[in-house]
Order: sequence, then structure tokens, then C-alpha cells
Amino acid sequence: MNLERLVQVDRRIVYLLIALGTLIPILKPIGFAVSTTPPVENFFAKVESLGGDDAVLVSFDYGPTTAPECDPMAEAVLRHCFTRGIKVVVVALFPLGGVTMAGEALEKIVPQYPDLVEGEDYVFLGYKDGAQATMKQMGVAFSGVFPSDQEGTPLDELPLMTQVLNYANIALVVSIATNVIGEWWANLVNAQFGTPVAVGCTAVSAPKYYAFLDSGQMLGLLGGLKGASEYEQLLIDRYPALEPIYSKAGEYNAMKGMDAQTVDHAIIMLFILYGNGVYFLIRRREKREARLEQ
Amino acid sequence: MSELLGVWLGAFLTLCIFSFLYKDNPFFRFAESLFAGVSLGYYIGIVSTNTLVPNMIRPLTADFSGNAHLLIPLLLGLNLYTRYIPRIAWMARLSLAVYIAYYVGIFMVQKLQGEVVPQVGKTILHPIGGNFTPVDNLIMMVGVLSVLIYFYFSIEHKRAVGVVSRVGIWFLMLGFGAAFGYTVMGRISLLIGRMNYLFIDVVQITSQYL
Repeated sequence: MNLERLVQVDRRIVYLLIALGTLIPILKPIGFAVSTTPPVENFFAKVESLGGDDAVLVSFDYGPTTAPECDPMAEAVLRHCFTRGIKVVVVALFPLGGVTMAGEALEKIVPQYPDLVEGEDYVFLGYKDGAQATMKQMGVAFSGVFPSDQEGTPLDELPLMTQVLNYANIALVVSIATNVIGEWWANLVNAQFGTPVAVGCTAVSAPKYYAFLDSGQMLGLLGGLKGASEYEQLLIDRYPALEPIYSKAGEYNAMKGMDAQTVDHAIIMLFILYGNGVYFLIRRREKREARLEQ
Repeated sequence: MSELLGVWLGAFLTLCIFSFLYKDNPFFRFAESLFAGVSLGYYIGIVSTNTLVPNMIRPLTADFSGNAHLLIPLLLGLNLYTRYIPRIAWMARLSLAVYIAYYVGIFMVQKLQGEVVPQVGKTILHPIGGNFTPVDNLIMMVGVLSVLIYFYFSIEHKRAVGVVSRVGIWFLMLGFGAAFGYTVMGRISLLIGRMNYLFIDVVQITSQYL
């Protein structure tokens, strides 16, 4: 058998298999079970402990480039807050699309809660440049950095913002983040103002965020699509009325995404096993040939 | 109709980017350049409408004397552009100095108070107490110490030090493995997003217009 040929798999075959492994579960969802983990359970439990008198600051710290991971997190957290009647202050600190993602998420979620009143139950303050400077200033006064909301309404005309003046009136900061902005909420806002922080981050950033989680600077963490799917599962388990939203055909969510994710991971693992198997066969053959030559 | 045009344009650009998987080609380079240009244009627009107008222009036009202090950041910002005039290019450094000093000040406290101190503190564990089980604590201690030894280059890594440093390498490899696994998950998620767009969103929106 020519082992060298077995190693040289055309990369386009790998691409094709990954494409099929992604596409088939999207068109025909499999419905793999989602098991939950403590970082997500703690995040969920914190939101669950809040009520109508509390305000949560949700910061959109990601753009369209990571939307498939972050959108489901943001939507699940907003649904959870609105279902519990928690007041929500929405901001965006990521320059390349944060404010657009926030606007689209609100546009999608708010109509599902017809009783919500903008300005009373939630506010959308928009984007502000200079993330850390903005975070610090919000600790003094939201109005100092956001003089008006996204539509230009002055903050003192928004009933919610007359009660939520700074972090002292915020029960939880939720940052849905790509890259480092989520870290800044922990090492700046949590460290200097003591505000509880929970983060939903892209999978690429997740390993670093675990350090903040284990040091207690974040109370919960949603790591990538898996974390988002766990949150969705917890949400459905606690509020079965939300189940139709998540099982609606053609509607993307993290649980459906995890089907494709699982199949793709299996394909990648099979290729890793295949590559290593062939490598060990070649090495064994070389050793045997070396022994014969001796 | 604009929605239909938008999704098909998105689908075309997605396929342009995917075409790189076959090999580099003009469609890929066009989509890549367009993405860079659109991102820059978006950034300028969003900073203007969300920061410059509400935080600078609107307050100054509404009440100039009451907001005169805003002229300081305005002048510092405009001063940055003097670097394009060779004779007075040095003036831009003044603005840069203020900008850098501000963020150094923020970062120093942020990193030390918010990262180094709490995370080092949580690494110093009681062997059998705290939030974790004794086994977790033991793994954490062995991992931290062996990795630190691995990066300690003042002693030759031989005998006992060599053994501990090899343990450190194993811990590092585990860390890199976890990071790689997460990276794969992240990239696959993006692929899932694009596939979902191409085969669900585009089809659904197109069917609305047929």
C-alpha cells in the first residue's frame, strides 16, 4: 500500500465534507441534546434572581463578523430579561457594527413582547467611541457620555434613565463580546465599581475569559455557540412558552447551530485520527525498513 | 425589492469570499477590498453620528458658553491633523501625548487592580480549601508552578528542573489544545452562519418576492 498517497488528501475534499457536514444539519436539524455547564447556569441563575425593580445593562460589543455566535446569546439574554420584566439598558461599544447588531436584536425581540414601552422598560442608548473612557464615565453618570438615546431623545426625558443614573443602579452588566471588550467590563467596571459582570464571548476568546471567571471577576460565561445553546436550553426549560420561537422552522438559533457544529467536529476528529493513524503506519514501516537494512 | 437585492448581493459577496478556498482570484480580492472600504466608511459614519454630533456638535451649538470645555478635546483632535503639514508636524505629538497619557493611566490601574492582583490572588490557593476541590487545587498549583519553571531561563533545565519544566510543557500543550478546540468551534460557527444565510435566509426572502 502506498502510504504516502494516503497522507496527501486534497484539502478541497476536507472543505467539501465540512460543507456537507454543515449544510445537511441546517436543512434537516438533528436535535442533539444540549447539556448545561456551571458557567452558563450561574449566568442564567443571576438573571433569574432579578425582577421588575432591577435594571440590566446589555452591551453589544461585537459586530456582524461574529454574529452567528453572538446573536443567539444577545437574543436569549434579552428574551430572558423581558420575560422576567427586568428593565434593560442597551449600549454598544464595538465600533464595527455593535450599534447595528443591537438595533437588529431589539427590532427582532421587542415585537415578541407587545407590552414593552420604550423609555420605560428598555432604552437603547446607541454607540459611543472610546470603550474604556465610556465605561469609566458611565460609572459617574450615564448622561455624561450618553446625552441622548439612539433616536436623539434626551436622557432626562426617558423615565427609565431618571432612575438608572450610573452603575449603582445596575444589577448586572451583560457584555456580548468579541475580542477584549468583555474583559474590560471585568477588569475595569467590576474591579473599580463592583458591578456584577457576566459575559457571552466568541469561542476564540473563551479560554482567556475563563481566567476572569475562575477569579470571580465574572459571575458567568457563555463561551461561543455552545454557551449560547446552553442558555437557550435553560431558557426553554424554565419558560416552555418560549419553545415555539426556538423550534420555528427556518429560524437560526444556537441549538440548531450546534447540530452542524457537532457533525463538523466529528468530521475534524476523524481526519485527525486518520492523519495520525497514517503517520504512525509510516513511522512503523520506516523503523522496520531501518531494522532490515541493519 | 431593495431587501431582495441586498440578500442577493450578500450571497454573491459570500460566494466571492468562499471562492478563495479553491484559489486566489479577482472575485475574492474585490470582495475583500469592498469589505475593508465599507468597514472604514461605516466606522467614520457611526463615530460622526453617535459620538461627534451628540457629544460635541449638538452641545456646542445649543449652549456654546456652557459647553466651552468641549473645545479642548475638539482642538486636540484637530491638532492631530497637523502631522500632514511638515513645518508644524511636531504639534500633533502634543495631542498624542495627552491621548497616550490618558489611556496609560486607565490601563495601568485596570491591568494591575483588575487583572494582575485578583488573578494572582486566586492562584494562591489553600491546598485543601477554597472554591475548588483539593484535586483541582493540586492541579492548579502544579500547573502554575511547572509553567513558571518552564519560563524561568536563569537555570539550565536539567535534572529536577528539567522534569518540572517538561510537566510545564504538558500543561501548556493542554492549554493550547483547549484554545485550538475553541478556535475551531468559533470558525465553524461562522461557517454555519454563512451557510444558514445562503440556504435559509436567501431562499426565504427570495420566495417572498416570487
